[in-house]
Parts: sequence; structure tokens; C-alpha cells
Amino acid sequence: MPDHTVVVVGGGVAGIRAALAARAQGADVALVSKVHPLRSHSCTSQGGLNAALAPDDSWETHAQDTVAGGDFLGDQDAVETLAREAPDAVLELDRWGAPFNRDERGRLALRRLAGANRARACYADDLTGHVVLQVLHEQLLAARVPAYVEWVVTSLLMDDGACRGVVALELATGTLHAITARAVVLATGGFGRVYEPTGASLGLTGDGLALAYRAGAVLMDMEMVQYHPTALTGTGALLTEALLGEGALLVTGGGERVMAEAAPRLGERAPRDLLSRSIASRLKAGEAVLLDARPIGGARLGRSFGVTRHLVKAVAGLDLAKEPVPVEPVPHRTMGGVRVDLHGATGLPGLFAAGGCAATGVHGANRLGGNSLLEALVFGRRAGEAAARAAAAAPTGQGASSRLADEERALEALTARGGGPDAAAAIRQALTRTMREQVGLFREAAGLAEATRTIVGLQERHRGLGVTASGRRWNSALVSHLELGHLLEVARVVAAAALARQESRGVHARRDFPERDDTGWLRHTLASFTPDGPKLDAQPVVITRWPPGRRAY
Amino acid sequence: MSYAFYPGCVSRGGCPELYPSAVKVAGRLGLGLEELTDVGCNGAGVLSRAVSDPINARTFAKAEARGLTQLMTICSTCTGVMGGANLRLKEAPAYRERINREFLAEERLAYQGSVDVKHLLWLLVEDYGLDRLRAEVRRPLKGLRVSPFYGCYIRRPDGILEGKPARKRYLEMVIEALGAEVTDFGGKGKCCGFPVLTANEPNSMAMVAAHTGEAKSKGAECMVTPCPLCHLNLDGGQPRAAKMKGTAIDLPILHLPQLIGLALGFSAEELHLKRHIVPTRQVAEKVSLLT
Amino acid sequence: MELIFKVYRHDPTAGTKPALESYPVSLPDGATVLDGLLQIRDRHDGGLAFRAACGRGFCGECTLRINRSGKLACITRVAQVAKDGEVTVEPVRNITVLKDLVYDVDELLWQKIAWVEPWLRPATAQPDGGYVIPDAELEPIRKAMSCYYCGLCDEGCSVIPFDRRFSGPAALTKAFRVVFDPRDGAARERLKRLGEPRGMWDCVHCYEANEHCPRGIDPTDRIFDLRDKAVELGVKSGTANPQVARHYDSFAASVRQSGWLDEGRLALETWGLGRLGELLPMAWRALRRGKLPVPYLHRKRPGAEWIRRIFDKVEKRS
Ligand SMILES: Cc1cc2nc3c(=O)[nH]c(=O)nc-3n(C[C@H](O)[C@H](O)[C@H](O)COP(=O)(O)OP(=O)(O)OC[C@H]3O[C@@H](n4cnc5c(N)ncnc54)[C@H](O)[C@@H]3O)c2cc1C
Ligand code: SF4
Repeated sequence: MPDHTVVVVGGGVAGIRAALAARAQGADVALVSKVHPLRSHSCTSQGGLNAALAPDDSWETHAQDTVAGGDFLGDQDAVETLAREAPDAVLELDRWGAPFNRDERGRLALRRLAGANRARACYADDLTGHVVLQVLHEQLLAARVPAYVEWVVTSLLMDDGACRGVVALELATGTLHAITARAVVLATGGFGRVYEPTGASLGLTGDGLALAYRAGAVLMDMEMVQYHPTALTGTGALLTEALLGEGALLVTGGGERVMAEAAPRLGERAPRDLLSRSIASRLKAGEAVLLDARPIGGARLGRSFGVTRHLVKAVAGLDLAKEPVPVEPVPHRTMGGVRVDLHGATGLPGLFAAGGCAATGVHGANRLGGNSLLEALVFGRRAGEAAARAAAAAPTGQGASSRLADEERALEALTARGGGPDAAAAIRQALTRTMREQVGLFREAAGLAEATRTIVGLQERHRGLGVTASGRRWNSALVSHLELGHLLEVARVVAAAALARQESRGVHARRDFPERDDTGWLRHTLASFTPDGPKLDAQPVVITRWPPGRRAY
Repeated sequence: MSYAFYPGCVSRGGCPELYPSAVKVAGRLGLGLEELTDVGCNGAGVLSRAVSDPINARTFAKAEARGLTQLMTICSTCTGVMGGANLRLKEAPAYRERINREFLAEERLAYQGSVDVKHLLWLLVEDYGLDRLRAEVRRPLKGLRVSPFYGCYIRRPDGILEGKPARKRYLEMVIEALGAEVTDFGGKGKCCGFPVLTANEPNSMAMVAAHTGEAKSKGAECMVTPCPLCHLNLDGGQPRAAKMKGTAIDLPILHLPQLIGLALGFSAEELHLKRHIVPTRQVAEKVSLLT
Repeated sequence: MELIFKVYRHDPTAGTKPALESYPVSLPDGATVLDGLLQIRDRHDGGLAFRAACGRGFCGECTLRINRSGKLACITRVAQVAKDGEVTVEPVRNITVLKDLVYDVDELLWQKIAWVEPWLRPATAQPDGGYVIPDAELEPIRKAMSCYYCGLCDEGCSVIPFDRRFSGPAALTKAFRVVFDPRDGAARERLKRLGEPRGMWDCVHCYEANEHCPRGIDPTDRIFDLRDKAVELGVKSGTANPQVARHYDSFAASVRQSGWLDEGRLALETWGLGRLGELLPMAWRALRRGKLPVPYLHRKRPGAEWIRRIFDKVEKRS
């Protein structure tokens, strides 16, 4: 039975950064990931990393933009931490060899991303996440951190309310293993797959959230789901918002500027929630919305957006440099996650979380482009350090082998029961349809209540289902089954939280409550697991220096 | 038209049969060749580009100085290496100028960027014309089953094709124009293994065995290559390769000018077929029976 | 579109033979091959094993052979590859298949990437505000790092089918990324390592990698860059293959001296008398046919003096 001091679940930016931090503290840390770290969703992020690096920029303005971008639901202590530590996080990557673009004087170049009042994001062409992930992975190799790759964590080893390891399924052999530890960091990314189509990777099924939730951790701000404004219509392929930041325009089929009214000052550089809603309204009215990248110029497009251009060519046969391309918003980033403090602690001893699966409170009701990878870096490091510290003082857990045996029996029962691939697919499709139609960009009470009922019914069906595919090696049916369970669990919380929040704020747009309501709803939504469904609660927003005001772009 | 002729090192070193064969064939076809005698080895992909680019720029400048812009090679490797260098020099005038200044100026040379590097194979198809070639054939190689083997550098990288994808079929076209039969096989565009003969001999020999063995098994009576380095490995290395694999192969490997020469009516002796490592007797005999 | 997907199925642990299974799929017009595979999982067999992650052409995880040529399933449109309503999907070649379309990437790629020790070893301390570097020096690094480890260069490689241990173009491209990073200070040690057997000198520079790379990285040229750098720094081989350095030196010396290559000398100096003796039967045969030029009896080409000067200048510069 493998044993380590700290186990990090997830090989994306947050996971690797956490593992490196724990290692730097001297911990015996191991990483577990269901895909090879370099295939983690982090590699798809394109735009950049915000950091107040320019001499005339400051962490305060970065923080202020973040707070306003999040429609004042962000916890300002967390935002402050993020903004203050951002320059170090970026410079560290520079030290590790990230080939970020430079300006004419050879210094880190900055580009402008949505919702920022100035150019503040450092970047590597349109491959920022890809490059950052590689550089971190290089450091992981250098630090010789053992990695259990293509191992799927199926449950947390809880001992008397404390997390002391994980149970994981090794895909290559089909063997279930217990990996014991004194502390666990969840860095499993988001849960974008509750929607379809989506820009989310196939594996973003909310595993970490569901496991922590069932183990007693609290989920926060689950109703906040951000749409990416500019996906290539009908494909789910996202066109980085850096395009808009660098001069691309959004126009209607009739040639009208889409953002002229909603954001007269920032225009195409307004935050994502505004962009998405403006585009969606036009589409709803039967107009086409096009992204016209020609103002950026062919040369710069070729140099800095080569991959995007190639992708558009491959999937739609269109050339960004020559013609406007049709776009639509698709579900993208989720703000909700396992509630954590500034050190990634979930409140359950031994359990930490960071990155896409965690809710630090920095994003509030809407994420700014360039803050997500950054959050994964800053809070990944913090969680890794805190986990190493906590582990040093923690006892060894008990009962791992009996838990492993329980889990083994559960899997056996699943494969013994049988079922059909179509049954599982039907449940997943019903779920994503419900989420798209009733828990989408615009929401209202009736739809949300119905969505909840639907999801509860689907959960029921899922519980009765088995897995037909035989053999445990590379049994994708088995993995999909477990993932579907997580998706349903998480989706139920999203619908419940969305129904509860009777206001419109950031990405959460209620047709029946179109206004922001600071008296009633300037607070986070919390959800805890009970066998009868989520128990909702609230928590005040931490406000230090930026009192809620009107967002004007 | 006159061509600057760059024979390369191997055509007179390791494959001394190639140079005279090429000269004879060119003479018979009436290609006006002006041999460049005072130029250097192009580096063969061995020498670092830091030295080989200036050496090649010098070669091109020498051709220009004689008023020639078409440079003919008889080696795939020469073609690829010089063609690649030429592309770099042509595409980046600043780079060319630097090399002119740093290396060629003291010899009062300067490369203007006007030269085209052409393998004899390309020249035959593109300039000379296959119809004219057919008309020169005195002894159609009827019934001779020939497998083509190109050598990497006249197929890849893409730039070397200069927008003419058909260059990947020229050997077959020439074989057919000579009246012979093409025995196609998967390895025709692959690496012969020569470049790693030093670094990794087992790999190099395994490649020889795979390609010659495959062609043989498809029924080829001989293989023709426009690259003397491929020849060195496929012919010279064949006995060793066969031994390592524990089979007999015995597939004669002909240089392109030798195959053409046979069809033009030259004798096996005139084309030095006896100088090969793998005996070519059967091919020579079969051809001598043709009229 | 209604199509038939013919999919490679095999479980090597089950003792059965590999087979192409046919599955009917029905897809919208713009659908990709990955969409087809996912549909097979949904409708026919949830246990069909294949890898896929981002589904959008970013991560490089779903490389497969689609109608006999290596492609990423997620960005390959069915309509473009289907032949007579059929699409054949198989694992890439020259690799151990673990199950169905899942093959051993660890062997193909990850171990090799670890072997090149691809982490930066900075030469100097970072100044406040980050390293100041002209962007032109980082552009090639970004280009190399746009590699998404699809493995298509390795699957098209000329050497790997003969020797799976060859480090291959993908790993060597990763090596390029650190060797040429202007912040790195360990080029010499790195090139020594890369010079060992299975490293860069085992590459036949056939340019297949350039043709196969969907990112336009031109891995073969990156390998040439590494070799040229090694020559410049005087690290012309590893420790286990000194003949590589002798070959280079002899080649260069001969061209430098006479303007062209003395093949007899090259053979002698590369292998030494001992090894030549071993090869004697061959050498004898070659000698008899006039194919092994007698070493050192090699006349200078006219103009050889100028070639020598080029060598001198390059050496002085580096
Ligand atoms: C198209 C796109 C563009 C974006 N652009 C930007 C941008 O410009 N700037 C920015 O800051 N952010 C951007 N983002 C968001 C950013 O990519 C994510 O917030 C960030 O990558 C999250 O990192 P992570 O490490 O938390 O998770 P991920 O990178 O998602 O990694 C999750 C890891 O967890 C593992 N895992 C999951 N479940 C299990 C399990 N059960 N067992 C074992 N392992 C498991 C996975 O294998 C994976 O390694 C973008 C996102 C997308 C989709
Ligand atoms: S170099 Fe190109 S072909 Fe090779 S793995 Fe990287 S992206 Fe793929």
C-alpha cells in the first residue's frame, strides 16, 4: 500500500504547484492524476496571467478590477492575497523558464484581457496555459515527485472526520489501491461537463467537489457558472478573449457593434458576463454575431494566435485573418467549489483544495480572464505548503484496508449488476440538456425547480444502474459511471443554489429577479451534503476596502 | 542550356562508378555540363551549418561567376543539403549578405541568390523532357523489374519539392520511360540508414535489410537510386545487413545514370557495373539480351 | 451522416487476437472522429478503450491512426476522412498496445522526455522584474514549446520502427527548448547527455518529423540545431560513442584540408585500425573493386585554401 506524507490529486497547474510547494517544505509528496499531467485542462487556457508588473500598475488596481469584475461577491482578503502575490508567481515562472512574450525592451510584455482597465496579463502567444503547465511539469520532474498517472481517485480515506489518503483505480491494471497520507490536496479542476456543449475537457466532472462534499466539506457559490462569450458557433471551440483584448470586434450580421450599448467605455473589453449576455440577447433576437479579428492584422494573428487560427481552420474551415467568424457563448468556467480559507484548508482536518475545484472567494460572481491560472498558482502553492505543515503534525490514519475492501466490493457490485451503455448515456444527455436549458445563461424559478426534480430523478436512475463492460483494465464504462455520479451530485447543488439566489449578480442572471440585491444577497451560498439533498446556508462576503458599487464598463 | 555540374565527393570516392556513368549519359543526351572543380564538399548534413552554409554560398557564387544559374547534382544528399542552404540564403537576404561579407568578400565573390539546385532526375523530367529521353532510348529495358529508392533529401522537407509534389514520382516516371517495369514498395521514400552508419550501425543495417528485402520480396530484380550515399549503404552494406538478418538478399543496386546508360545502349563495362559489391551480373545479362 | 467506424479492438491480456470491429454511427456534418468514438461508447460498448482529454486540439492526447494516417481524433472531421462511408481507427504504429486504442505512451514519450532532463538550469540570477531578453530569442522557444506531445513525429520517425529506444524527435524538441533557452546555463552537460547512444546522433535526419508535425515545429531542424550547437561547443559525442566525434573531426579535417571528403581516411579515423580489421572482408571487397579510396592519397581541390579559411573563420567566431 503506497504511503506518502502528502498526496495531491490532480496534475493541472494547481496540483503541480501544490506538489512542488509541499516538496519544497521537505514533505514526501506524491501526485495522482487521472490523465497525464500535461493533458490536464490547464493546457487549454490561452489568454494570460494577471499581475501588476507594470511600474504604473499596482496590486490595488488589480484587486479593484477583480472585485468589480466579480460584481462585489469576491472576498476581498482573498482578492488582496491573489493580487499581492501575483507578481511573484509570474516571476517564479520566468525563473523556471516560461518563455513569456517580451516587449521591445525585452521585458515581460502585457496584454489586455476582459474586465481589466489596463494591459496586465503576461502571456505566451495563445498558449499561456500550455506553456505554464509544461514549465511546472519540468519542475515536477526535476523535483522527482512520484506521480501515479492514469489513476482515478474514487474516494477519500476519512478517519474520524479527517482525510488520511485516497482510494484510486489504476486504469492500466484495473486494480484499486489505497494511498495513505497525512494530508490530501484536491486539485481536480472544475465541473464544466455538467453542460454540453462546453469548452471543458472530458475529465472535468467535478470529482474532487463530489468526493469532498460527500465527506463533509462545504461547497460554495455553486450557482455561479460563467459562459465564455466567444465559442466558434456549433463547435464548442473557444476563441481566446485575448483576441478581443487586442482589437477584434464583435459585430452583428447587420454590421452593428454588439457591445456599443452595454459597455460604451470598454466595448469588447468588458467582462465575460456582460459580453455573453449581450451576444446571447442578439442571438435570441435571431441575429448572427460575428467575431472580426481582421483589425488585429494578419502578421500579428499569425505570430501570436497561430494555434487559434489553425484550430478555426481545422474545425470550421474559416480563416480568422480573412473573414469574421460566427460565435456564441458556451458554458466555461465555474466559480463554485470546495470552500477553502486562504491556505486551501477545507475545514476538514487533512483536506485541502486549490484551483478549479476550490472556492477561495476571489472570483465572486464572475471570473476575470487571467485570474484563473493565477489563482491555481497562488493558492496551489499556499495549499501545498499548508498541507505539508499540517501533515507534519498529523497522526497516521486508521482503517485504510477495510475502506479499500468496501470500495472493492462496491465496484464488484457495479460490474456484477450490468446495465447498458445507452442507459448511462441517456442519463448524461438528460442532465446536460436540463442544465443547458434550465440552469443556463438566463434562469428563473420554475425552470430551476424543475431542473432540481429532474436531477433527483436522474440520480435515482443512476443508482440503479450497473456497468456492462467486463474486465477492469481500462474500463472506461466504469470510470464514466463514477464520473456521471459526480456530475449529478454537483449539478444538483448548482440548481439548488441558483434557485435560492433571488437576484441577478455577475454571471447569475435571473429573469424573475433582474436586479442585484445587496441587502438580501451580498453573501455566499454554501451547501452541505445530506442524504436528502444539499442543505443550503450563507456566509457573509469579506469586504475590506472596496464597498459594493455600480459596475460601469 | 548549360548546367554547372557539381559531382560531389562520393561519385569519385566511394562510388567511383557513378561519375563516369553520369558524364557519359549527360554527353549522350547532350546536356551541356560545366563541371565546378574548384568548390568544396557541401557538408553532407554532417558538417555544421555554420561552416557548410558559407561553403555552399561559395559554390553558388562560383557558378554565378561563370554565368550559370542552373546547378546540377547527381546525389540526393547533395541536392538536399545544397538546396536547403540555398533556400536559407535566398529567403534571408540579410543572412546572405552577412555570409558574403564575412566569408566570400576576400575571394572577391558574392552570391546573388540566382542559382537553382537540381538533381539530374529533376532536370531530366522538368527541363529535358521524358519524351526526348524516350526518343534517345536505344535499348528499352523491357521486362526489367526495377524498384525505385529516392533518398530522403529529394523528397523532404517539403520546401525541397518547390511546390512540385510530382517530384515524389519522378523515379517511377523515368524507369517507365526507359521501358522498364516499376516494382513499387513501401520503403522507396524511407531512409537508407547511411546517416547513422557511424552512430548506430545495427540500426543502419536493419534499415538496409528491411528496404532491400522488401523490394526483393515484391519481385524486384534491381533497385535504382539517385543517391550515391544510399548506394553505399544499400549496396556496400547489403552483405552485412543480410548476415545480421540471417537471410540472403542479393539485390543489385544501380545508380540512376547507370540505369539510364543501359537503356541508352552503353555496356555494363562502360558503366562500371562490376564495381558494385552486390553482383550485377544477372541484370547485365538480362539487358544484354535485349536489343 | 451515417457511417461505419471500423475500430481496432484488442485486449492483450485476454489471449484473443486483435480485430477490427464495425460499428454504425450517425453524426452531424461537422462531427469529428472523437465524436464518433464517444458515440460508440454511448451506444454500443461503454468499454471501448481510447484516450482523449481536452477534445479541442490543445492537449495532444487522442493521437490515433485514422484511415491509415496519424491524426488527432478531436480535430479530424469525419467528413474529410471517410472513404466510402467508412472510417478506420487504429492505434499508432510501432508501439505496445495496452488495450484497444490505448497504447503505451510512457514508452513512446514520457520516459524519453524525462531522459532529456528538460528543466531549466539558470545561468544567472534573475534580475528584479524578470529576465530581460529580446523577444526574438524566446520566439523559437515558444515555438518548440507549442509541442503538445501528440507523438506524430515519433510515429512517423524512420528510426523508431527499428529501435524503440531511440529518444525520438519529440523528446529532442523538448531538449531544444532548454538548450536554447537564453536563461539556461547547462548546454554543454545537456549536449553531452543528448550525444549518447539513442540521442541526437542516432537521428537519420530524414525530415519525416517535419512532415508529420501538425504544429509546424520542424523537429528535424531542431535536432540539427542541437547538433550544430554541440559541434560549436566541442561536444561532438557522448562517452559511449566516441566514434561519432572522430567521424565528425575526420570529416571536417578532410574537407578543411583538401576541400572534399577523403572517404578512406574517414573510415580509418572513425573506426581505427582495430575495427577496420573486423570489417576487413568487406573492406577488402571494396578495395578490390576500387570502392575504398586509399586513405590520405587525396589530392587537394583547386581553391581548397579558401575552404580552409572558412573553417578558420567559423572557429574563430565561436
Ligand atoms: C479554453 C480555456 C481558456 C482559458 N483561458 C484562461 C486564461 O487565459 N487565463 C486563466 O487564468 N485561466 C484560463 N482558463 C481557466 C484555467 O485553465 C483553469 O482555471 C485552470 O487551468 C484550473 O487548473 P487546475 O489545476 O485547477 O485544474 P485542471 O487543469 O483542470 O486539472 C485537473 C486535474 O485533476 C485531475 N483529476 C480530476 N479528477 C481526478 C480524479 N478523480 N482522480 C485523479 N485525478 C483527477 C485531472 O487529471 C487533471 O490533472 C481557461 C480555461 C479554458 C477552458
Ligand atoms: S514535435 Fe510536433 S509532431 Fe512531435 S510531438 Fe510535438 S507537436 Fe507532435
